Amino acid sequence: MPRIITCFKWVVDQADIRVVPGTDELSLDRVGYRISEYDRNCLEEGARLKEQYGGEVVGLTVGIPGAKKSIKDALSRGPEKAYFVTDPSFSNLEPGQTAAIMAAAISSQIEYDLIICGEGSGDLYAQQVGPRLAEMLGIPCAVFVNKIEIKEKEAIVECKVEDGVEVLALPLPALITVLPDINTPRVPGLKDTLAAGKKPVEEITLQDLNKSFDPYLETLNVRATSMERTCEKMDAGSEGIAKMVAVLTKAGVIS
Amino acid sequence: MAGVWILADNHDQILELLAAGRSLADDIGMGLHLLLWDREEKSGEYFSYGADEIILLPALADGQPLSVYIPLIAEEAAREKPEVFLIGGSNRCKELAARIATRLETGLCSECTAFHFNQDLKRLEMERMIYGGVGVQTVASTSKPQMATIPPRTFSPGSPLEGREGKTREITGALETPVRVLEKKAKSKEQVNIREAKVVVCVGRGLENEEDLQLARELAEVLGGEVACTRPIAEELHWLPEETYIGLSGQVIKPHLYIGIGVSGQIQHTVGIRDAKTVIAINRDENAAIFEVADYGIIGDLYEVVPQLTRAIKEKVKS
Ligand SMILES: Cc1cc2nc3c(=O)[nH]c(=O)nc-3n(C[C@H](O)[C@H](O)[C@H](O)COP(=O)(O)OP(=O)(O)OC[C@H]3O[C@@H](n4cnc5c(N)ncnc54)[C@H](O)[C@@H]3O)c2cc1C
Repeated sequence: MPRIITCFKWVVDQADIRVVPGTDELSLDRVGYRISEYDRNCLEEGARLKEQYGGEVVGLTVGIPGAKKSIKDALSRGPEKAYFVTDPSFSNLEPGQTAAIMAAAISSQIEYDLIICGEGSGDLYAQQVGPRLAEMLGIPCAVFVNKIEIKEKEAIVECKVEDGVEVLALPLPALITVLPDINTPRVPGLKDTLAAGKKPVEEITLQDLNKSFDPYLETLNVRATSMERTCEKMDAGSEGIAKMVAVLTKAGVIS
Repeated sequence: MAGVWILADNHDQILELLAAGRSLADDIGMGLHLLLWDREEKSGEYFSYGADEIILLPALADGQPLSVYIPLIAEEAAREKPEVFLIGGSNRCKELAARIATRLETGLCSECTAFHFNQDLKRLEMERMIYGGVGVQTVASTSKPQMATIPPRTFSPGSPLEGREGKTREITGALETPVRVLEKKAKSKEQVNIREAKVVVCVGRGLENEEDLQLARELAEVLGGEVACTRPIAEELHWLPEETYIGLSGQVIKPHLYIGIGVSGQIQHTVGIRDAKTVIAINRDENAAIFEVADYGIIGDLYEVVPQLTRAIKEKVKS
């Protein structure tokens, strides 16, 4: 029966990011945070595999102390326990650091047969943490997976590749990154939310890990991307349609 | 020996990376080295496209995944110390890149869309999108090799130089992995090419049923365009092939005209249409984000608006 670690990240909600007027700077002053979209598929897959094969599922996240807010949400989606690896210096971590911190935390105290990560995170979308973590732990890995089966001591997975699908057999322990189409995340009900509040949360601090995690990349700048558009809205109805036909004619797509 | 290294798992991307790598290697004043495992390819062709050296890897045994090369490539890189290592952004190669970077204890700029070699600071400055496409981040690696994965079609392939030569060096080593490829299911090659289309009609989850794609098809037909979609339509509902979804993780297109119907306009989608000349949106929610990035929008039910529009265009064409 597999012991599964599902990983999730607390990310800024990009819909709240504003461009500072008249500049190409981004303002993150008023942003909300949430569990990264594809990590919900990751949490769901952990829960689903447990339903199918038994075993246990825990959640793991790395973040600043404020990321604690993500934990109850994550726990309402399946895991029986959460590991929260935290330090005030854990803001703006690059994937190499996040993976190294997770590897240190897992090696120090979490037993597992399978680690599941989302394909990429909603903020950076670097798609590196999963494969880097596997490499650090020295375990096999499969990425961009949309189907997982466990047979004996192996995971049989379907990986999406450009020219089709590759079916791989990975001996456990292994790491898998999942695509959003692997499942449809359940919407936690009141009962799940209440139960989540009672589940254990283990905090692991930087001191506990007793290591430093240095970046490899230096961010030189971040600029807003801009899209200048006319933004003219019209109502449905014959007038709007006629106007649209005029627009299309002017654009040269109908003659 | 340093140099610029490149690696990709398909011919088109090898040519793209050869073009980008060649000019970078010239900027740095170093050689361009191509890692290759496919013996059927004519290496001479890659020399004519700019490679100085081909580093030939041992052939894969049956059932071995590409990731089996990771230790061998990492060891070779640790020995040869390339200055820059550019890797194609296919799914398999993204895994290779992240794991090789881990072994080499270096950074990796994922999905790098542009780069520039800063001669004063002797470093590669690489751009990539963050926050779903709201921002562009420029990074530099403080460790070597300076690594990046490059999405397909970021660079154009160059032109071959007749008579240009290079040398091939084979590296050997055991290829061992506990992972087995059980099966490869090739997907049928769809003939749609939304990147070349002048007009793209894009459907989103506002469409209720697969049959309703017909509405989009009819509109595309009168405009001589192709039908594309958002990620959930392709990846969750599988109504259209994956090559036809637009956005951050899909295709980036530059048509004359894009018409989004029932598309909410999340940034991860709209980064793919930034360079469209004209953007039109049809959505029943007047606050939909798509209207902020559209030139013209019709607020209304697509089931009423689209057939009306198609009919009106037909009439206009006839007249
Ligand atoms: C890391 C990451 C990468 C991503 N990459 C991509 C990507 O490359 N491409 C991509 O497309 N998405 C991508 N996404 C997903 C993206 O965030 C959105 O979820 C997705 O684009 C939304 O698709 P949609 O507009 O079809 O659906 P929805 O957001 O569900 O929008 C449907 C819209 O249809 C409208 N509507 C409903 N009924 C009607 C009607 N009868 N008439 C008119 N309008 C109607 C609604 O008002 C709504 O605005 C990514 C997400 C993440 C986190």
